[in-house]
Amino acid sequence: MGPLDDQVVRADSLTAGPDGLEIAVWSHWYRALPLPSLARVDLTVDGRRIDPAELSVTVNGTRRPLSEVAGAGDEYWFTTDPLVLHTPVETAPGREHRVQLLLGLSIPYILTGPDRVPLVAPSATDKTLTAAGART
Amino acid sequence: MTDTAPGLPRLGTTLFSLTLEQRRAGGDLAGLVREVAARDLGPGLEMVAFQSLRGWPRLSPEQEREVRGVLDSSGLTPSCLAINNDLGLYPGRLLSDDESYEYVAVQLRGAAALGFPVARVGVETGPAILERLLPLAEQLGVKVGVEIHAPLTIEAAPVAALKELFTRLDTPWLGFVPDMSASMRAVPDAVDDAHRVAGIAPELTALTKQLWAEPGPTMAKFPELERRAAEAGATPPQVGNLKMLFTMHGRMAPERWADFFPHVVHVHGKFYGIVEGPDGLTDPSIDWPAVARVLREQGYDGVVSSEYEAHAYSDRYSAFDQIRAQHDMLKRLLEAEPAVAAR
Repeated sequence: MGPLDDQVVRADSLTAGPDGLEIAVWSHWYRALPLPSLARVDLTVDGRRIDPAELSVTVNGTRRPLSEVAGAGDEYWFTTDPLVLHTPVETAPGREHRVQLLLGLSIPYILTGPDRVPLVAPSATDKTLTAAGART
Repeated sequence: MTDTAPGLPRLGTTLFSLTLEQRRAGGDLAGLVREVAARDLGPGLEMVAFQSLRGWPRLSPEQEREVRGVLDSSGLTPSCLAINNDLGLYPGRLLSDDESYEYVAVQLRGAAALGFPVARVGVETGPAILERLLPLAEQLGVKVGVEIHAPLTIEAAPVAALKELFTRLDTPWLGFVPDMSASMRAVPDAVDDAHRVAGIAPELTALTKQLWAEPGPTMAKFPELERRAAEAGATPPQVGNLKMLFTMHGRMAPERWADFFPHVVHVHGKFYGIVEGPDGLTDPSIDWPAVARVLREQGYDGVVSSEYEAHAYSDRYSAFDQIRAQHDMLKRLLEAEPAVAAR
């Protein structure tokens, strides 16, 4: 809840990549977080729920399956860098897509409840945007 | 620089205030520091390491030189580096005490290398780790301060444990960083903007503000807030947002900050908006005259870092203008009476 939520997915976030729609995502948290903080990526494109197992992520120049991000605790997602979600959604430059994303970031220094579990800070996006050509 | 008279608290800015500005063009570290200096919002300069320093906590020698260059050429004085103890770094487990110590120690060395005299940690860094950090802090010449942020108050058990530790060790190298979020007199109006965007009815916001302002410990009011908000039609996520206001804004009496002395190593001048009142600049949600009185009575001559946080709720205001207004207000309040040396 706040101004950064509106910047998670921006007007120019969508790109028609070589293997599907790519979505650039910015963090709604004020500080860089370790990559395993990417706790929840609930993505629906054009009404189709994308299985997280089908997603891969590029951050700091490295692409890895979303499932492997949890093991990258020595890397951080910097405040002003986008993270790119690679989806299997077919697209082309100029095509419009409705993107619904619930991003849940695990905040490693805010522990909640008697079991001291990290707070998960959610941010919900629902935007219809146009895909640009691949950035080469 | 907003210089205050000798012997009084010094003013400054934390780059955390500029969280939204950081995401805009020209918002890199050098650009923000330059702007803070150009607008005379020093002399103190604080930042959140993980927010402002790409590569933290392992800066390359080249990155380190670059950051030092930015700080040196600004004419500002490094006041405090906010560091984090990411106990929940790995999914499914918390860091062990050894891992936690190392995680903070690396950052303490980093703070020293960049020339910061104080490193701020959160209350998740408990007495055992702090005591273990003491020799390193002393060796590096960096004080470690635990931030007292809402919902913590002087009565909270972790705060009592810290007070006991600092009293027992009787060292200048460990202490508190009071944050004014813990001692507010009203929920800030900027909240209204965020609630409007989130589709929360104004009646629900008003109800939450009203319950917040009633006497009694805030934590005891959660059940009534949940019940009445649900009755008024709030969805579960909206109830979560309303409860967040109780967590982010504490109601400790500002006079209680005196109880944290003499163990105060830095102060967060947290605020959510300065407005023009009938008697000049004023802060509707924080009683700065009372806070300034405590700081003066305690003889505090460290830095009060302006920490504008309404950016969490609204992008309607310029953080730079808000800090300017807070500095002008604080300078007037701090210089209003002759200094009293209590220690």
